[in-house]
Amino acid sequence: MSGTGDDKRRWRDGPLHAPLSDRGGAGDEYFGQPSRDGVEQAEPMPSGEPGMIVGRKPLGLWADTWRRLKRNRLALVGLAIIIVFLAVGLAETISSAVGFNLAPYDPNMVNYELSPEGLGSPPAWDHPFGTDYLGRDIFSRVLVATRISLLVGVIAVAISLVIGLTAGPLAGYYGGAFDSVVMRIADIFFAFPYILFVLLLVTVLGGGFVNVFIAIGILSWATYARLVRSSVLSVRKMEFIEAARAQGASDVRIIFRHVLPNSMAPVYVAIAMGVGGAIVAEAALSFLGIGIQPPDASWGKMISDNLSYLLAGRWWMVFFPALALVVTVFGFISFGNGLRDATDPKLKE
Amino acid sequence: MLSYIVRRLAQMVLVLVGVTFITFIIMFVVPGNPAALLAGKNATPEKVRQIEKNLGLDQPLYVQYGKFMWRLMHGDLGTSYQLDKPVSELIALNAPNTIQLAFAAVLIELLGIPLGIYSALRQYTFWDTALTTGALLIWGIPVFVLAVFMQWFFGLKLGLLPITGGGGETFLWIFPADLENLQVLILPAVTLGLIEVAYISYMQRASMLEVIRSDYIRTARAKGVPERRVVMKHGLKNALIPVLTIAGIDLGALLGGAILTETVFNRPGIGLMTFQAIGARDLPVVAGGVLFATFFYVLANLIVDLAYGYLDPRIRLEEG
Repeated sequence: MSGTGDDKRRWRDGPLHAPLSDRGGAGDEYFGQPSRDGVEQAEPMPSGEPGMIVGRKPLGLWADTWRRLKRNRLALVGLAIIIVFLAVGLAETISSAVGFNLAPYDPNMVNYELSPEGLGSPPAWDHPFGTDYLGRDIFSRVLVATRISLLVGVIAVAISLVIGLTAGPLAGYYGGAFDSVVMRIADIFFAFPYILFVLLLVTVLGGGFVNVFIAIGILSWATYARLVRSSVLSVRKMEFIEAARAQGASDVRIIFRHVLPNSMAPVYVAIAMGVGGAIVAEAALSFLGIGIQPPDASWGKMISDNLSYLLAGRWWMVFFPALALVVTVFGFISFGNGLRDATDPKLKE
Repeated sequence: MLSYIVRRLAQMVLVLVGVTFITFIIMFVVPGNPAALLAGKNATPEKVRQIEKNLGLDQPLYVQYGKFMWRLMHGDLGTSYQLDKPVSELIALNAPNTIQLAFAAVLIELLGIPLGIYSALRQYTFWDTALTTGALLIWGIPVFVLAVFMQWFFGLKLGLLPITGGGGETFLWIFPADLENLQVLILPAVTLGLIEVAYISYMQRASMLEVIRSDYIRTARAKGVPERRVVMKHGLKNALIPVLTIAGIDLGALLGGAILTETVFNRPGIGLMTFQAIGARDLPVVAGGVLFATFFYVLANLIVDLAYGYLDPRIRLEEG
């Protein structure tokens, strides 16, 4: 794979390696491939079904992908983690909206009796993950924080998708000067040091977690725009697009109805990786003291608040939120990687 | 080829201009007046205005930006509001720390290459699954969590290494010049490197798998070339290229500073410098830090692309 320059990884102080990455414009050849697969496998195809294997019914994109994905155990584990994460996060969101507390304890309830000497108490039957320096139940806080991670993943990725999936296809379809301008702007966003950009933006927008989500989302659009653009470049000259044009379809209809759906395979991979990246990003910002404000809990905030207690040997205060974070991110990354392998024609046997 | 390089260099300049411009806009609309911060809490409005005037902050955005660009073209990055020192001096002070860390981390991450190759050659065995799962798990660990764990385990529990600091003498800016400097480098470098090892080994595995399924490997095997030679000579050569490009880009990115790692280990460097300057609304330092980081990142991208085109002639650089 030619993974380079991606986003999530800049949260670990390196550049992010986009799932299908991108080497500053010259690597475009690499992108087109998975999507071409998408094109050939996609269901409603007005024109010729290429190279079918005789005697086997051709599978649609999803059926074919699933067939290959389910042989990859790591990807299935990732999928299971994602499903649990989504279920808990949604349940938490809904229950908090109707004022019902899903967690066994009030996550923000301070109880000094449970924190002798201000050092919390270790995991016990009543408090399986222990309590923190304020005597708050860590299990309840980890549970409630799932909602924040779900929100940051969904909102940040949604923002970058909306921008990226508008700019990318238009640039790829029209080409020329418009394409150049959009892609040069994408270059700038791509090259901007990730953490610095979000730090700067959050300083302007002010703290508060919604602003953090927006800041994370705004920078990542370039990844999606580039992915889709290069897919579009490889799709746009195909016969079924010409057929649509011959039938009198408008440009907008051709782009968003015919070109885009057939260019999405690498984007799904990027979404899976992007959600994981956004969750890590939120944690990193919380660590730097920006983002979720007390007493609200997010995994990153819990980790950074309790870090000093780790040095005092109170491992559970950091271990459980970190475990939730690492397992969730692992889920998205392993599913994303599995999805890429399953849609990459070069890895087909 | 030459026209490609020229075009890429032009794009590079464009990116650097764009990045500084965005930095300027953001710092311009940011709440909090640097002059007021400098003047202190009890300053009179007149004093604040005087400082604003001295720093040129009373002028419109485009004038400030124009002046910045003009100075930049003459090799002058401006003067820090807060520290009253030239930004270039601050960068020269912090850069050796960051450069050492970047090179050390990238050297460590290359350990992922043998791991990935081993994994690929034993695909679907126990060790492959274990290594791949481990790689994906480590890949998901936020760097600051790993950093603190390292401090706790190697610094406090085992008492082996110092957990904070940095900034001793260097040799050529890249190598620590004395033992003390080497000791403070180890933990941050291993922290950054370990996460990269995970990523590199995963990518090396994927790249190796792709290569050993290709036709020319099958041909080599059919010819009766010994398996060891097939893997080491025919396979590895091609499978290494994408992974080395990743390491190259990593180096470029890390040269721009590792904010999180530098913060945890309280290690002076470009990342920490820029981060602190944002808090102090110290625009010249922020702009200088952003420019420094972007420059190396973009430069690494260009070099890697050129090297890629050279090493793998199937990639035609003129496209895209």
